[in-house]
Amino acid sequence: MKKIMKLILALILSVSLVACGGGGSDEGGAGSSEGGEGAYNVAYLVNGNLGDKSFFDSAKAGLDQLEADGRINLKTIEMGGTDSDKPKWESILYEVSDSGEYDYIIVGTFQMPDFLKAAATDYPDQKYIIFDDNTYVGNNDNVLNLMYKQNELGYVLGVLAGGITTDTSVANINEDAVIGFVGGQDSPVINDFLIGYIEGALSVNPDIKIDTRYTNDFVDTAKSKEFALSMMNDKKADIIWGVAGNAGNGAAEAVLETNNAWFIGVDSDQEQTFIDELAAITLTSGLKNIGNSLIWVFDEIDAGNDDFWGTEIALGLAENGVGIVDDKNYDAVVPDSVKELVAEAIKAVQDGSVEVSTAFGPNKVDVAEIRDSVRP
Amino acid sequence: MGFFEFVFTVEFFFSIIRITAPIIFATLAAIICQKGGVSNIGLEGTMMMSALFGSLFAYYSGSWIVGVLVAIITGIIVSLGIAFFAFNLRTNIILAGTAVNMIGSGGTIFLVKVITGMTEGNQLTSTNGLISTRLQIPVINIPILKDIPLIGGVLSGHSLLTYLAFVLVFLTWALLYKTPIGLNIRSVGENPNAASSVGVSVIKIKYTVLIIGGILAGLGGAFMSMYYSMGWSQDMVAGRGFIALAATAMGGGEPLGGLLAALIFGFAQALSIKASAVGIDSNLVSPIPYLVTIIGLVVFAIVAREKAKKPHKVKESA
Repeated sequence: MKKIMKLILALILSVSLVACGGGGSDEGGAGSSEGGEGAYNVAYLVNGNLGDKSFFDSAKAGLDQLEADGRINLKTIEMGGTDSDKPKWESILYEVSDSGEYDYIIVGTFQMPDFLKAAATDYPDQKYIIFDDNTYVGNNDNVLNLMYKQNELGYVLGVLAGGITTDTSVANINEDAVIGFVGGQDSPVINDFLIGYIEGALSVNPDIKIDTRYTNDFVDTAKSKEFALSMMNDKKADIIWGVAGNAGNGAAEAVLETNNAWFIGVDSDQEQTFIDELAAITLTSGLKNIGNSLIWVFDEIDAGNDDFWGTEIALGLAENGVGIVDDKNYDAVVPDSVKELVAEAIKAVQDGSVEVSTAFGPNKVDVAEIRDSVRP
Repeated sequence: MGFFEFVFTVEFFFSIIRITAPIIFATLAAIICQKGGVSNIGLEGTMMMSALFGSLFAYYSGSWIVGVLVAIITGIIVSLGIAFFAFNLRTNIILAGTAVNMIGSGGTIFLVKVITGMTEGNQLTSTNGLISTRLQIPVINIPILKDIPLIGGVLSGHSLLTYLAFVLVFLTWALLYKTPIGLNIRSVGENPNAASSVGVSVIKIKYTVLIIGGILAGLGGAFMSMYYSMGWSQDMVAGRGFIALAATAMGGGEPLGGLLAALIFGFAQALSIKASAVGIDSNLVSPIPYLVTIIGLVVFAIVAREKAKKPHKVKESA
């Protein structure tokens, strides 16, 4: 028994050593460069690392563009994304706030609001911008919360899916006018994606049916795979949009298995984050354009319209805050006639001739009723 | 299309088998531990750990076989950990199991970030981006059988581990009832003092059942991340380790009963997916498997009580 004990202790020791050794992904500050005179000094604190092909990279691209145009002087600090890095986030945020060197400090994602609330309270004269979070909106007058209109995003994808689902000249597409939606939860945010998707699809084909399933969690990939398989086998859906966090990827795996449908991703360009096989069956992804939204913010500031501090701004197609991936598979697979439909739809929403319903706020519509009326 | 034609399709029965397989692994693990008098409630966490390391090592080695082996080894190591804390350090085994479940949820996220250096951005943590179908456990089309209509579609084309799950039901039964070690396991579970008085090392047997349970849970974890889904993702086992505990109770703690209970659960979940297809509210659909579990437990309890009553009745009438 002693031997076994020794063995186990040795194992535990070696495991913890390995854990310590692997954790040294320390990221220092990235360099800043000289910008034009009168440009704003901006600090972008990444609570993770660049290279995520998602929100962080998108924000960085937008800020790089602003810097290249001589409008800001950018300092990017990668704070690291592991749990051991988390304690640093708050101290770096405080350090940067305390330095007083920056006109604007930019942070993002749902992991930051608590730290930001504390710092923004202690440094009331410092201006902060946080993207994709509205946890404490209105709490501090020096914070701007940027949000993204998922219903308008859904609308564009609905037009795309509705336009393509009866076009049998496209690979993997059958003649039935049925498309699918795998949502994480029957909740307002998810239904906001859905309501746009339904309205977009109906706008190009009034007879279209939309098969909506909710996994009721955001983690059970296997369950969402079963749902997607059922959509394809039972309802002949040939376009499936997954809006369920990681679980949504289960739908992509189901499509890969049967190979008679297309998957649509969400939030980031999933053709880039997926492995090649899954990317090959991903038609496009709905995007939150963090970079564009930051450019929009500085446009407004320069135009003197910056009365938005302390509020939440929801950016849609008009501000280029949301959009879809239009290269790679989209470019190669989607017929020109459908591309035209999509372009028209984007334009219509941008100029206000089409107003997409929403699933929350004072003007919310009864999603359940609409959902049931289009069920296959 | 009639109701029965809509529900009872080939894909429906195929999905029952696929849904049932991981639950069988975990149920067998729970059964063998229970037979040895060990309450192993850490199966969920064990499966999470195995799922993670299985998929990671499949990626690093480029071979699914290595992945499955590492998943099994991980299951053994985690179970040894439970055993060490429970039997050597005298922790309450329920607490040790709970700790493993928590590590399985939060610890795996930590480990995957430390090991791969991946950042999550707005995405939840997963190894989906590393795993291709080449690294997945292969699917087996059984010759001859696969050409039989209906039955071929249901029984052929499953993964290697799916078939293994069903084979293991009988192997577990044989281990428990046809081997000397099985006898020892059952005697330790029934009455450890009696077993120890005839020279059976109780602690050795308890270690043994936990190790076997670890192997089975490891296979269950490998099934989840290396066949059912492509790669590990946060909390992906999603309660299957707990369902297995219910299935064990429902099946009366026997391998064949456990198989039946797991199949009932698989049927219920497949049915709930069909139910969602006809537009029943998702909040009503997702509890169906759990409802079936409760009903099953009630039925089992009633049957067990009736059984217990019968001898009395015979005596009374005599």
